[in-house]
Amino acid sequence: MLLKIAWRNIWRSRTRSLVVIGSVVIGIWALLFLLGFFRGQIDNYISNIIENQTSHIQIHDSIFKSDFEVRLFMPDAGVIENELVKNDAVKAVAKRLLINGMLSSAATAQGVMLKGVDIEQEQSVTRLMDKIIEGEGFQADKRNQILISRRTADKLKVNLRSKVVMTFQNVHGDITTAAFRIAGIYKTSNRVNDELYVYAAIADIRRLTEIPEAGAHEIALLVNNFEQTDQFATSLKAKYPQWKVETYKEISPDLELFNSQIRVNMIIMTVIFMLALIFGIINTMLMAVLERMKELGMLMAVGMNKARVFIMVVLETIFIALIGAPIGMLLGIGTTKYLNKIGINLSNWSRALEEFGMSEIVRPVVNSETIWTITTAVVITAVLASIYPALKAIKLKPVEALRKI
Amino acid sequence: MTDKKVVVSVKDVHKTYTETKVPVKALRGVTLEIKQGEFTAIVGPSGSGKTTLLNIIGGLDRPTSGEILVDGTDLSQLSDNKLIDFRKTHIGFVFQSYNLIPVLTAKENVEFVMLLQNVAQQKRDQRTKELMEAVGLGDRMHNRPSELSGGQQQRVAVARALAPKPAFVLADEPTANLDSASTANLLDIMSRLNQQEGMTFVFSTHDQRVIDRARRVITIEDGKVLSDIRK
Repeated sequence: MLLKIAWRNIWRSRTRSLVVIGSVVIGIWALLFLLGFFRGQIDNYISNIIENQTSHIQIHDSIFKSDFEVRLFMPDAGVIENELVKNDAVKAVAKRLLINGMLSSAATAQGVMLKGVDIEQEQSVTRLMDKIIEGEGFQADKRNQILISRRTADKLKVNLRSKVVMTFQNVHGDITTAAFRIAGIYKTSNRVNDELYVYAAIADIRRLTEIPEAGAHEIALLVNNFEQTDQFATSLKAKYPQWKVETYKEISPDLELFNSQIRVNMIIMTVIFMLALIFGIINTMLMAVLERMKELGMLMAVGMNKARVFIMVVLETIFIALIGAPIGMLLGIGTTKYLNKIGINLSNWSRALEEFGMSEIVRPVVNSETIWTITTAVVITAVLASIYPALKAIKLKPVEALRKI
Repeated sequence: MTDKKVVVSVKDVHKTYTETKVPVKALRGVTLEIKQGEFTAIVGPSGSGKTTLLNIIGGLDRPTSGEILVDGTDLSQLSDNKLIDFRKTHIGFVFQSYNLIPVLTAKENVEFVMLLQNVAQQKRDQRTKELMEAVGLGDRMHNRPSELSGGQQQRVAVARALAPKPAFVLADEPTANLDSASTANLLDIMSRLNQQEGMTFVFSTHDQRVIDRARRVITIEDGKVLSDIRK
């Protein structure tokens, strides 16, 4: 009966209840969208970093990354590579040589990091070929081809098929110079990386640096199950104790910071939204209680005890939240899913986004974490919002309440 | 009448309202007894203290001093929550402005107090039907209060008051908002219930038509019993 009374009470002031329910719907809708948008941005950022920079796991000589010395290669990289390729947990592997050097054109010179790559491996790990915006990429029958970014090309004032000269050390510490023909120009969403990296075939670099056949500076790999990255990395660390095995989180600790920072922001935002909703709901419920003083007085006069009156008001409040919440949730999930499909184009801000390594298309994401956060928040909100009006209701004295017109 | 059970016993009750700037002495020593089966009107000009007396008898308000026994229970000994439970089982209320629960049907309104008492469904249905028929609204069970006339609503209120089989029914100016036909009808019903079922009724009223039908008239003035006439 209490449930029935509470439910019907909501529909006594249909407009008023609908307005509050509407505010709950819009609040949750907007919140879900915003959280989804942020989540999408983080995911975008992380996946960009993983795709372009860190992969899931990388293996190096333990001190290679402090100085990028050519001689610090892993002689058994070929063996490790073969073992990884056979491992079911591994999706793709790329073996690389990394050479610091100076890239010069007729106009100017620039410090770069030359990555000696197997183009097919690279395609499966970093989808390098997809990022080429001019040219065909490496031709099988030609030597000394290089891929540079649009930015580097502009800076060096060179074009596709121009010649550039790369100066670097070989494995013996001798300065070596080689001329490369630009076989392609690429572009990623990360400005800093674009200015830094140029790519050439691993065979050319091996020959020029005189690094033996099986050797490589870097092995990058993608795992099949992203969630098990840490676990898999641990097993690799045990297997190859002589080398440094790092996950993307270890390579790029800012990812974790960024992630937790955004998570805190999401919680703050949820709290702000819910606070706004709480006051809206309290306001309405207080109105509902105050205009029903006489009725509440009567209920208490005929023997409804305070606990029941309290529960009735709480139920009314919770009903309002519970009607609004699923609608808002569905709208929010729907909107997010739809926008995830079509993507939100932020190309107007693409320059700024590139500075942060984000691509201009954001795909909002709702995950179960977001949904749980919001569900919990709504329940807490509804309960908190109901307490004050319910307390107000049970503080009424029946005689005084009955006297009110 | 002397052999009947005493339902309400009021002994030297004083009530002073101190919330106001000047304390108001609403009751100054009222003593009276109401016995089972009486049909009593408490009358008096406004401000005489009759509503205060009714509230105190009904356990809605507490006296400043004095003793109230209802069905042998000293109301001053009960905590607020116990008092609510006591009202639920011992006292039926009929209010001036009906005060039905607007979101419930007539039947549900009558059923409500029994529900609070956890009376079984079957018993509730039977009692509700009996009472609705007794007040002549057997065909209006499923109407909401807003679909009933004032007289009909007040009859539902009477049925509700009787539902828990209280020791007595307190009615605060029950006819004040009714036209004469509804008033006559309501009084017929109440006196029939009084005579046939021996239900005790206590009214406060201004209404001469109610006073005429009452078998006992207690007049209150300035917070004291001025006269107590049994017809």
